[in-house]
Amino acid sequence: MDYQINDRGGDAHVKFTGDITFSENVNFRQLLKDIAELNLKSCEFDLSGVDMVDSAGLGMFLIAREQATTAGWKLSVSGAKGHVASMLKLTKLSDLLDG
Amino acid sequence: MTVLSPQSPVENQELMQSVYGARILVVDDMALMRQMIGMCLTRGGYKNIFYASDGDEALRMVKEDEPDIVVLDLNMPRVSGYEVCRTLRADRRFEGLPILVQSASETPEERVEVFAAGATDFVSKPINQPELLARVRMHLENRFMIHSLSEFRKAMQSELVMARDMQQSLLPEADTISAIEHASEMKVESYYRASFELGGDLWGCWPLEGDQLGLFVLDISGHGVSAALNTFRIHATMARFHKSRTDPARFLTELNKALVPNFPMGQFATMFYVVLNHKTGHMVYAGAGAPKPMVISERGVRLLDSTGMPVGISLTPDYINLEDTLKPDESLFCYSDVLIEAPQPDGSMLGEDGLIDWVIEQEKDQDRRDLVSRLLRRFFEAQPSASLPDDLTAVALHPDKDCLT
Repeated sequence: MDYQINDRGGDAHVKFTGDITFSENVNFRQLLKDIAELNLKSCEFDLSGVDMVDSAGLGMFLIAREQATTAGWKLSVSGAKGHVASMLKLTKLSDLLDG
Repeated sequence: MTVLSPQSPVENQELMQSVYGARILVVDDMALMRQMIGMCLTRGGYKNIFYASDGDEALRMVKEDEPDIVVLDLNMPRVSGYEVCRTLRADRRFEGLPILVQSASETPEERVEVFAAGATDFVSKPINQPELLARVRMHLENRFMIHSLSEFRKAMQSELVMARDMQQSLLPEADTISAIEHASEMKVESYYRASFELGGDLWGCWPLEGDQLGLFVLDISGHGVSAALNTFRIHATMARFHKSRTDPARFLTELNKALVPNFPMGQFATMFYVVLNHKTGHMVYAGAGAPKPMVISERGVRLLDSTGMPVGISLTPDYINLEDTLKPDESLFCYSDVLIEAPQPDGSMLGEDGLIDWVIEQEKDQDRRDLVSRLLRRFFEAQPSASLPDDLTAVALHPDKDCLT
Protein backbone atom coordinates (compact mmCIF):
# COMPACT_ATOMS: atom_id res chain seq x y z
CA MET A 1 0.00 0.00 0.00
CA ASP A 2 1.19 3.50 -0.87
CA TYR A 3 -0.56 6.77 -0.23
CA GLN A 4 -0.22 10.35 -1.34
CA ILE A 5 -1.69 13.19 0.69
CA ASN A 6 -2.77 16.33 -1.08
CA ASP A 7 -3.93 19.02 1.33
CA ARG A 8 -6.10 21.63 -0.38
CA GLY A 9 -6.46 24.20 2.40
CA GLY A 10 -7.91 21.89 5.05
CA ASP A 11 -9.67 19.59 2.59
CA ALA A 12 -7.28 16.71 2.12
CA HIS A 13 -7.32 14.10 -0.60
CA VAL A 14 -5.53 10.82 0.10
CA LYS A 15 -4.88 8.68 -2.95
CA PHE A 16 -4.20 5.03 -2.06
CA THR A 17 -2.53 2.50 -4.32
CA GLY A 18 -1.88 -1.23 -3.80
CA ASP A 19 -3.60 -3.63 -1.39
CA ILE A 20 -4.80 -2.55 2.04
CA THR A 21 -4.31 -5.60 4.25
CA PHE A 22 -3.24 -6.78 7.70
CA SER A 23 0.44 -6.30 6.89
CA GLU A 24 -0.11 -2.58 6.13
CA ASN A 25 -1.06 -1.82 9.72
CA VAL A 26 2.11 0.15 10.52
CA ASN A 27 1.97 2.04 7.23
CA PHE A 28 -1.68 2.98 7.76
CA ARG A 29 -0.99 4.22 11.29
CA GLN A 30 1.73 6.43 9.85
CA LEU A 31 -0.85 7.87 7.46
CA LEU A 32 -3.15 8.61 10.41
CA LYS A 33 -0.27 10.41 12.15
CA ASP A 34 0.47 12.37 8.98
CA ILE A 35 -3.10 13.57 8.60
CA ALA A 36 -3.41 14.29 12.33
CA GLU A 37 -0.75 16.97 11.83
CA LEU A 38 -2.85 18.77 9.23
CA ASN A 39 -5.54 21.20 10.25
CA LEU A 40 -8.36 19.36 8.52
CA LYS A 41 -11.96 20.17 7.79
CA SER A 42 -12.41 17.08 5.66
CA CYS A 43 -10.49 14.20 4.20
CA GLU A 44 -11.37 12.05 1.22
CA PHE A 45 -9.90 8.55 0.96
CA ASP A 46 -9.63 7.86 -2.75
CA LEU A 47 -9.64 4.08 -3.25
CA SER A 48 -9.70 4.08 -7.06
CA GLY A 49 -6.15 2.69 -7.11
CA VAL A 50 -6.84 -0.10 -4.62
CA ASP A 51 -7.56 -3.62 -5.86
CA MET A 52 -8.01 -5.41 -2.57
CA VAL A 53 -8.92 -4.71 1.04
CA ASP A 54 -9.19 -7.38 3.74
CA SER A 55 -11.04 -7.24 7.06
CA ALA A 56 -8.02 -5.78 8.85
CA GLY A 57 -7.94 -3.06 6.17
CA LEU A 58 -11.60 -2.27 6.83
CA GLY A 59 -10.72 -2.06 10.53
CA MET A 60 -8.14 0.60 9.72
CA PHE A 61 -10.82 2.69 7.98
CA LEU A 62 -12.87 2.46 11.16
CA ILE A 63 -9.91 3.74 13.17
CA ALA A 64 -9.59 6.64 10.71
CA ARG A 65 -13.29 7.36 11.17
CA GLU A 66 -12.84 7.41 14.95
CA GLN A 67 -9.95 9.84 14.54
CA ALA A 68 -12.11 12.06 12.31
CA THR A 69 -14.97 12.09 14.83
CA THR A 70 -12.63 12.91 17.71
CA ALA A 71 -10.75 15.65 15.84
CA GLY A 72 -13.88 17.08 14.25
CA TRP A 73 -13.21 16.60 10.55
CA LYS A 74 -15.31 14.73 8.00
CA LEU A 75 -14.11 11.50 6.41
CA SER A 76 -15.39 10.31 3.06
CA VAL A 77 -14.48 7.38 0.88
CA SER A 78 -14.55 7.46 -2.91
CA GLY A 79 -13.57 5.49 -5.97
CA ALA A 80 -14.02 1.97 -4.53
CA LYS A 81 -14.33 -0.62 -7.27
CA GLY A 82 -14.39 -4.40 -7.71
CA HIS A 83 -13.54 -6.35 -4.57
CA VAL A 84 -13.12 -3.19 -2.48
CA ALA A 85 -16.60 -1.95 -3.41
CA SER A 86 -18.11 -5.39 -2.70
CA MET A 87 -16.44 -5.56 0.71
CA LEU A 88 -17.69 -2.09 1.70
CA LYS A 89 -21.18 -3.01 0.56
CA LEU A 90 -21.22 -6.50 2.14
CA THR A 91 -20.19 -5.09 5.52
CA LYS A 92 -22.37 -1.95 5.15
CA LEU A 93 -19.28 0.06 6.02
CA SER A 94 -19.75 2.27 2.96
CA ASP A 95 -22.71 3.94 4.74
CA LEU A 96 -20.86 4.21 8.04
CA LEU A 97 -17.65 5.63 6.56
CA ASP A 98 -19.49 8.24 4.52
CA GLY A 99 -21.89 9.07 7.36
CA MET B 1 20.77 -21.94 33.41
CA THR B 2 18.88 -18.69 33.88
CA VAL B 3 16.61 -17.45 31.11
CA LEU B 4 17.76 -13.96 30.26
CA SER B 5 16.65 -11.08 28.14
CA PRO B 6 19.44 -8.80 26.98
CA GLN B 7 17.71 -5.53 27.86
CA SER B 8 16.82 -5.26 31.54
CA PRO B 9 19.55 -4.20 34.03
CA VAL B 10 18.54 -6.91 36.51
CA GLU B 11 18.77 -9.54 33.85
CA ASN B 12 22.03 -8.04 32.60
CA GLN B 13 23.40 -8.63 36.07
CA GLU B 14 22.22 -12.23 35.83
CA LEU B 15 23.94 -12.47 32.46
CA MET B 16 27.23 -11.31 33.99
CA GLN B 17 26.85 -13.86 36.80
CA SER B 18 26.40 -16.57 34.17
CA VAL B 19 29.44 -15.29 32.26
CA TYR B 20 31.80 -15.27 35.25
CA GLY B 21 30.45 -18.57 36.53
CA ALA B 22 30.98 -20.13 33.10
CA ARG B 23 32.90 -23.39 32.77
CA ILE B 24 36.04 -22.79 30.74
CA LEU B 25 38.21 -25.59 29.39
CA VAL B 26 41.80 -24.61 28.61
CA VAL B 27 43.60 -27.05 26.31
CA ASP B 28 47.37 -26.88 25.80
CA ASP B 29 50.14 -29.48 25.80
CA MET B 30 52.50 -27.05 27.54
CA ALA B 31 51.95 -26.83 31.30
CA LEU B 32 53.34 -23.28 31.36
CA MET B 33 50.81 -22.09 28.77
CA ARG B 34 47.93 -23.73 30.67
CA GLN B 35 49.04 -21.96 33.85
CA MET B 36 49.40 -18.62 32.11
CA ILE B 37 45.99 -18.72 30.46
CA GLY B 38 44.43 -19.97 33.69
CA MET B 39 45.99 -17.09 35.60
CA CYS B 40 44.75 -14.53 33.08
CA LEU B 41 41.23 -15.89 33.32
CA THR B 42 41.32 -16.07 37.14
CA ARG B 43 42.50 -12.47 37.28
CA GLY B 44 39.68 -11.58 34.93
CA GLY B 45 37.17 -12.93 37.46
CA TYR B 46 36.47 -16.40 36.08
CA LYS B 47 36.08 -19.13 38.66
CA ASN B 48 35.41 -22.44 36.89
CA ILE B 49 38.49 -23.22 34.85
CA PHE B 50 39.68 -26.70 34.11
CA TYR B 51 42.49 -28.04 31.96
CA ALA B 52 43.35 -30.68 29.39
CA SER B 53 46.90 -31.41 28.20
CA ASP B 54 46.10 -32.94 24.80
CA GLY B 55 43.36 -33.30 22.20
CA ASP B 56 42.19 -36.69 23.42
CA GLU B 57 41.76 -35.50 26.96
CA ALA B 58 40.03 -32.34 25.70
CA LEU B 59 37.45 -34.32 23.72
CA ARG B 60 36.77 -36.57 26.71
CA MET B 61 36.40 -33.60 29.08
CA VAL B 62 34.09 -31.69 26.72
CA LYS B 63 31.78 -34.71 26.62
CA GLU B 64 31.93 -35.33 30.36
CA ASP B 65 32.04 -31.82 31.79
CA GLU B 66 30.23 -29.82 29.07
CA PRO B 67 32.17 -26.54 29.27
CA ASP B 68 30.65 -23.23 28.09
CA ILE B 69 33.76 -22.32 26.09
CA VAL B 70 37.02 -23.99 25.04
CA VAL B 71 40.36 -22.15 24.72
CA LEU B 72 42.25 -24.47 22.43
CA ASP B 73 45.89 -24.82 21.35
CA LEU B 74 46.32 -25.84 17.71
CA ASN B 75 49.67 -27.61 17.67
CA MET B 76 49.53 -30.57 20.01
CA PRO B 77 50.94 -34.06 19.57
CA ARG B 78 48.60 -36.95 18.57
CA VAL B 79 45.19 -35.23 18.28
CA SER B 80 45.69 -31.64 17.04
CA GLY B 81 43.49 -28.62 17.74
CA TYR B 82 42.12 -28.88 14.19
CA GLU B 83 41.02 -32.43 14.86
CA VAL B 84 39.38 -31.41 18.14
CA CYS B 85 37.42 -28.69 16.31
CA ARG B 86 36.28 -31.03 13.56
CA THR B 87 35.26 -33.78 16.00
CA LEU B 88 33.26 -31.39 18.18
CA ARG B 89 31.50 -29.74 15.24
CA ALA B 90 30.46 -33.13 13.89
CA ASP B 91 28.54 -33.71 17.13
CA ARG B 92 25.20 -31.85 17.23
CA ARG B 93 25.49 -31.40 20.99
CA PHE B 94 28.54 -29.17 20.54
CA GLU B 95 27.73 -27.31 17.33
CA GLY B 96 27.14 -24.08 19.29
CA LEU B 97 30.08 -24.45 21.70
CA PRO B 98 32.44 -21.46 21.34
CA ILE B 99 35.98 -22.64 20.49
CA LEU B 100 38.65 -20.00 20.87
CA VAL B 101 41.83 -21.07 19.15
CA GLN B 102 45.24 -19.78 20.29
CA SER B 103 48.02 -19.84 17.81
CA ALA B 104 51.50 -18.36 17.37
CA SER B 105 51.64 -18.35 13.61
CA GLU B 106 48.74 -16.68 11.87
CA THR B 107 49.06 -16.81 8.11
CA PRO B 108 45.90 -16.04 6.12
CA GLU B 109 45.87 -19.69 4.98
CA GLU B 110 46.00 -20.89 8.56
CA ARG B 111 43.09 -18.65 9.55
CA VAL B 112 41.01 -20.08 6.73
CA GLU B 113 41.88 -23.61 7.76
CA VAL B 114 41.09 -22.96 11.43
CA PHE B 115 37.68 -21.47 10.68
CA ALA B 116 36.96 -24.26 8.18
CA ALA B 117 37.68 -26.77 10.94
CA GLY B 118 34.98 -25.10 13.04
CA ALA B 119 36.77 -22.65 15.36
CA THR B 120 34.71 -19.68 16.54
CA ASP B 121 37.54 -17.17 16.92
CA PHE B 122 41.29 -16.64 17.31
CA VAL B 123 43.54 -15.32 20.07
CA SER B 124 47.15 -14.71 19.20
CA LYS B 125 50.16 -16.08 21.02
CA PRO B 126 51.91 -14.83 23.07
CA ILE B 127 48.76 -14.35 25.08
CA ASN B 128 47.69 -10.78 25.51
CA GLN B 129 45.57 -10.72 28.67
CA PRO B 130 43.07 -7.92 27.77
CA GLU B 131 42.50 -9.47 24.32
CA LEU B 132 41.96 -12.96 25.74
CA LEU B 133 39.52 -11.65 28.37
CA ALA B 134 37.62 -9.52 25.86
CA ARG B 135 37.18 -12.41 23.45
CA VAL B 136 36.23 -14.94 26.12
CA ARG B 137 33.69 -12.54 27.56
CA MET B 138 32.18 -11.68 24.17
CA HIS B 139 31.73 -15.32 23.19
CA LEU B 140 30.31 -16.27 26.57
CA GLU B 141 27.84 -13.38 26.45
CA ASN B 142 26.77 -14.43 22.96
CA ARG B 143 26.40 -18.01 24.07
CA PHE B 144 24.25 -17.16 27.10
CA MET B 145 22.13 -14.67 25.20
CA ILE B 146 21.49 -17.12 22.36
CA HIS B 147 20.70 -19.80 24.91
CA SER B 148 18.32 -17.46 26.70
CA LEU B 149 16.58 -16.48 23.46
CA SER B 150 16.20 -20.07 22.36
CA GLU B 151 14.83 -21.01 25.81
CA PHE B 152 12.39 -18.11 25.54
CA ARG B 153 11.38 -19.23 22.05
CA LYS B 154 10.85 -22.81 23.24
CA ALA B 155 8.74 -21.63 26.17
CA MET B 156 6.70 -19.37 23.88
CA GLN B 157 6.22 -22.17 21.38
CA SER B 158 4.93 -24.54 24.02
CA GLU B 159 2.56 -21.84 25.34
CA LEU B 160 1.24 -21.34 21.81
CA VAL B 161 0.74 -25.06 21.30
CA MET B 162 -1.24 -25.19 24.52
CA ALA B 163 -3.29 -22.16 23.46
CA ARG B 164 -3.90 -23.73 20.06
CA ASP B 165 -5.23 -26.87 21.69
CA MET B 166 -7.53 -24.73 23.83
CA GLN B 167 -8.72 -22.92 20.74
CA GLN B 168 -9.40 -26.20 18.95
CA SER B 169 -11.67 -27.08 21.86
CA LEU B 170 -13.91 -24.11 20.94
CA LEU B 171 -14.79 -25.87 17.69
CA PRO B 172 -17.66 -28.38 17.72
CA GLU B 173 -16.68 -31.75 19.14
CA ALA B 174 -16.91 -34.88 17.00
CA ASP B 175 -19.77 -36.16 19.21
CA THR B 176 -21.83 -33.00 18.62
CA ILE B 177 -21.25 -33.16 14.87
CA SER B 178 -22.14 -36.81 14.67
CA ALA B 179 -25.34 -36.28 16.74
CA ILE B 180 -26.33 -33.45 14.37
CA GLU B 181 -25.52 -35.58 11.31
CA HIS B 182 -27.60 -38.41 12.70
CA ALA B 183 -30.60 -36.21 13.56
CA SER B 184 -30.50 -34.16 10.35
CA GLU B 185 -29.49 -36.91 7.93
CA MET B 186 -26.93 -34.50 6.54
CA LYS B 187 -23.17 -34.72 6.41
CA VAL B 188 -21.26 -31.90 8.10
CA GLU B 189 -18.00 -31.39 6.22
CA SER B 190 -15.63 -28.93 7.88
CA TYR B 191 -12.10 -27.60 7.73
CA TYR B 192 -10.28 -25.17 10.00
CA ARG B 193 -6.71 -23.96 9.80
CA ALA B 194 -5.08 -20.98 11.47
CA SER B 195 -2.51 -18.97 9.50
CA PHE B 196 -0.42 -18.65 12.65
CA GLU B 197 -0.47 -21.08 15.62
CA LEU B 198 -3.64 -19.30 16.73
CA GLY B 199 -6.47 -18.14 14.54
CA GLY B 200 -9.25 -15.59 14.43
CA ASP B 201 -11.85 -17.81 12.78
CA LEU B 202 -14.52 -19.81 14.51
CA TRP B 203 -17.47 -21.91 13.49
CA GLY B 204 -20.03 -23.88 15.39
CA CYS B 205 -23.26 -25.78 15.13
CA TRP B 206 -25.85 -26.89 17.61
CA PRO B 207 -29.10 -28.82 17.60
CA LEU B 208 -32.26 -26.76 18.20
CA GLU B 209 -35.81 -27.67 19.09
CA GLY B 210 -38.32 -28.63 16.39
CA ASP B 211 -36.01 -30.49 13.95
CA GLN B 212 -33.75 -27.47 13.61
CA LEU B 213 -30.04 -26.86 13.76
CA GLY B 214 -28.04 -23.66 14.06
CA LEU B 215 -24.78 -23.09 12.16
CA PHE B 216 -22.48 -20.08 12.36
CA VAL B 217 -19.15 -19.07 10.85
CA LEU B 218 -17.25 -16.00 11.98
CA ASP B 219 -13.98 -14.28 11.21
CA ILE B 220 -12.35 -11.76 13.53
CA SER B 221 -10.62 -8.92 11.69
CA GLY B 222 -6.86 -9.42 11.59
CA HIS B 223 -5.30 -12.65 12.80
CA GLY B 224 -2.78 -13.98 15.30
CA VAL B 225 -2.93 -13.79 19.08
CA SER B 226 -5.25 -10.79 19.49
CA ALA B 227 -7.79 -12.18 17.01
CA ALA B 228 -7.56 -15.56 18.75
CA LEU B 229 -8.27 -14.02 22.15
CA ASN B 230 -11.35 -12.41 20.62
CA THR B 231 -12.60 -15.83 19.46
CA PHE B 232 -12.58 -16.88 23.14
CA ARG B 233 -14.44 -13.70 24.05
CA ILE B 234 -17.06 -14.23 21.35
CA HIS B 235 -17.45 -17.91 22.17
CA ALA B 236 -18.08 -17.13 25.83
CA THR B 237 -20.45 -14.27 24.97
CA MET B 238 -22.48 -16.42 22.57
CA ALA B 239 -23.24 -18.86 25.37
CA ARG B 240 -25.12 -16.07 27.19
CA PHE B 241 -27.64 -15.76 24.38
CA HIS B 242 -28.57 -19.38 23.85
CA LYS B 243 -32.26 -18.51 24.22
CA SER B 244 -32.08 -16.42 21.05
CA ARG B 245 -30.44 -19.11 18.98
CA THR B 246 -33.64 -19.85 17.05
CA ASP B 247 -33.81 -16.23 15.81
CA PRO B 248 -30.63 -15.34 13.84
CA ALA B 249 -31.16 -11.56 13.64
CA ARG B 250 -31.95 -11.35 17.34
CA PHE B 251 -28.98 -13.57 18.17
CA LEU B 252 -26.60 -11.33 16.18
CA THR B 253 -28.16 -8.18 17.65
CA GLU B 254 -27.70 -9.36 21.23
CA LEU B 255 -24.20 -10.65 20.55
CA ASN B 256 -23.26 -7.37 18.89
CA LYS B 257 -24.65 -5.29 21.75
CA ALA B 258 -22.55 -7.24 24.23
CA LEU B 259 -19.40 -7.02 22.11
CA VAL B 260 -19.39 -3.37 20.99
CA PRO B 261 -18.16 -2.03 24.37
CA ASN B 262 -15.46 -4.70 24.58
CA PHE B 263 -14.06 -4.75 21.07
CA PRO B 264 -11.16 -2.33 20.53
CA MET B 265 -11.73 0.20 17.73
CA GLY B 266 -10.88 -1.33 14.37
CA GLN B 267 -11.56 -4.92 15.49
CA PHE B 268 -14.78 -6.71 14.66
CA ALA B 269 -16.14 -10.04 13.50
CA THR B 270 -17.85 -10.79 10.22
CA MET B 271 -20.43 -13.49 10.76
CA PHE B 272 -23.18 -15.58 9.25
CA TYR B 273 -25.76 -17.48 11.27
CA VAL B 274 -28.43 -19.79 9.88
CA VAL B 275 -31.18 -21.81 11.51
CA LEU B 276 -32.12 -24.74 9.28
CA ASN B 277 -35.13 -27.00 9.65
CA HIS B 278 -33.69 -30.24 8.39
CA LYS B 279 -37.08 -31.83 7.84
CA THR B 280 -38.42 -29.07 5.58
CA GLY B 281 -35.17 -27.40 4.44
CA HIS B 282 -36.55 -24.05 5.60
CA MET B 283 -33.72 -21.65 6.45
CA VAL B 284 -33.77 -18.41 8.40
CA TYR B 285 -30.49 -16.57 8.36
CA ALA B 286 -28.83 -13.27 9.16
CA GLY B 287 -25.53 -11.90 7.92
CA ALA B 288 -22.93 -9.63 9.45
CA GLY B 289 -20.65 -9.18 6.47
CA ALA B 290 -19.30 -12.73 6.14
CA PRO B 291 -18.59 -13.99 2.59
CA LYS B 292 -21.87 -14.96 0.97
CA PRO B 293 -22.64 -18.64 1.63
CA MET B 294 -23.34 -20.79 -1.42
CA VAL B 295 -26.27 -23.11 -2.04
CA ILE B 296 -24.93 -25.77 -4.39
CA SER B 297 -26.73 -28.28 -6.57
CA GLU B 298 -26.42 -29.86 -10.02
CA ARG B 299 -28.25 -26.81 -11.33
CA GLY B 300 -25.47 -24.49 -10.20
CA VAL B 301 -24.73 -22.12 -7.34
CA ARG B 302 -26.86 -19.42 -5.74
CA LEU B 303 -25.68 -17.07 -3.02
CA LEU B 304 -27.30 -16.21 0.27
CA ASP B 305 -27.23 -12.52 1.12
CA SER B 306 -25.00 -12.10 4.15
CA THR B 307 -24.81 -8.31 3.91
CA GLY B 308 -24.70 -6.70 7.32
CA MET B 309 -22.53 -4.66 9.64
CA PRO B 310 -19.89 -6.89 11.27
CA VAL B 311 -20.45 -7.44 15.00
CA GLY B 312 -18.53 -5.25 17.42
CA ILE B 313 -18.68 -1.93 15.52
CA SER B 314 -21.98 -0.11 15.89
CA LEU B 315 -24.83 -0.26 18.38
CA THR B 316 -27.38 0.09 15.57
CA PRO B 317 -26.39 -2.58 13.09
CA ASP B 318 -30.00 -3.43 12.05
CA TYR B 319 -29.64 -7.15 11.43
CA ILE B 320 -32.52 -8.70 9.52
CA ASN B 321 -33.73 -12.26 9.06
CA LEU B 322 -33.90 -13.58 5.51
CA GLU B 323 -35.50 -16.85 4.46
CA ASP B 324 -34.75 -19.53 1.91
CA THR B 325 -35.22 -23.23 1.42
CA LEU B 326 -32.49 -25.81 1.12
CA LYS B 327 -33.85 -28.44 -1.25
CA PRO B 328 -33.08 -32.12 -0.60
CA ASP B 329 -30.45 -32.16 -3.36
CA GLU B 330 -28.74 -28.93 -2.30
CA SER B 331 -25.68 -28.35 -0.10
CA LEU B 332 -24.96 -25.25 1.97
CA PHE B 333 -21.36 -24.05 1.90
CA CYS B 334 -19.91 -21.35 4.19
CA TYR B 335 -16.28 -20.20 4.10
CA SER B 336 -13.93 -17.51 5.33
CA ASP B 337 -12.60 -14.79 3.06
CA VAL B 338 -9.03 -16.10 2.66
CA LEU B 339 -10.42 -18.62 0.15
CA ILE B 340 -11.28 -15.83 -2.28
CA GLU B 341 -8.68 -13.26 -1.22
CA ALA B 342 -5.45 -15.29 -1.03
CA PRO B 343 -3.14 -14.50 -3.94
CA GLN B 344 -3.06 -17.08 -6.72
CA PRO B 345 0.24 -18.05 -8.42
CA ASP B 346 -0.20 -15.13 -10.87
CA GLY B 347 -0.73 -12.71 -7.98
CA SER B 348 -4.43 -12.19 -8.66
CA MET B 349 -7.13 -13.11 -6.17
CA LEU B 350 -9.67 -15.82 -6.94
CA GLY B 351 -12.67 -13.71 -5.96
CA GLU B 352 -16.21 -14.87 -5.38
CA ASP B 353 -16.85 -15.54 -9.09
CA GLY B 354 -13.65 -17.58 -9.34
CA LEU B 355 -14.66 -19.70 -6.36
CA ILE B 356 -18.13 -20.26 -7.84
CA ASP B 357 -16.47 -21.55 -11.05
CA TRP B 358 -14.33 -23.94 -8.98
CA VAL B 359 -17.39 -25.18 -7.09
CA ILE B 360 -19.31 -25.82 -10.31
CA GLU B 361 -16.36 -27.74 -11.76
CA GLN B 362 -15.92 -29.81 -8.60
CA GLU B 363 -19.64 -30.52 -8.40
CA LYS B 364 -19.80 -32.15 -11.81
CA ASP B 365 -20.12 -35.95 -11.80
CA GLN B 366 -18.57 -36.30 -8.37
CA ASP B 367 -19.82 -37.10 -4.91
CA ARG B 368 -20.62 -33.71 -3.42
CA ARG B 369 -20.17 -34.98 0.13
CA ASP B 370 -16.42 -34.37 -0.10
CA LEU B 371 -16.70 -31.15 -2.08
CA VAL B 372 -14.94 -29.07 0.60
CA SER B 373 -11.89 -31.32 0.73
CA ARG B 374 -11.62 -31.33 -3.08
CA LEU B 375 -11.99 -27.53 -3.20
CA LEU B 376 -9.35 -27.09 -0.54
CA ARG B 377 -6.97 -29.51 -2.25
CA ARG B 378 -7.21 -27.33 -5.31
CA PHE B 379 -6.86 -24.17 -3.22
CA PHE B 380 -3.68 -25.39 -1.50
CA GLU B 381 -2.19 -26.60 -4.80
CA ALA B 382 -2.58 -23.06 -6.13
CA GLN B 383 -1.01 -21.46 -3.04
CA PRO B 384 2.51 -20.27 -3.77
CA SER B 385 3.66 -20.87 -0.17
CA ALA B 386 2.80 -23.29 2.61
CA SER B 387 1.69 -20.49 4.93
CA LEU B 388 -1.70 -18.83 4.51
CA PRO B 389 -2.17 -15.05 4.63
CA ASP B 390 -5.21 -15.49 6.90
CA ASP B 391 -7.14 -18.16 8.81
CA LEU B 392 -9.25 -20.58 6.80
CA THR B 393 -12.60 -22.05 7.71
CA ALA B 394 -14.87 -23.99 5.37
CA VAL B 395 -18.06 -25.75 6.44
CA ALA B 396 -20.66 -27.50 4.33
CA LEU B 397 -23.92 -29.23 5.07
CA HIS B 398 -24.58 -31.97 2.52
CA PRO B 399 -27.76 -33.95 2.14
CA ASP B 400 -26.73 -37.54 2.68
CA LYS B 401 -28.42 -39.43 -0.13
CA ASP B 402 -27.73 -42.74 1.59
CA CYS B 403 -29.73 -41.61 4.59
CA LEU B 404 -32.64 -40.10 2.66
CA THR B 405 -35.44 -42.46 1.77
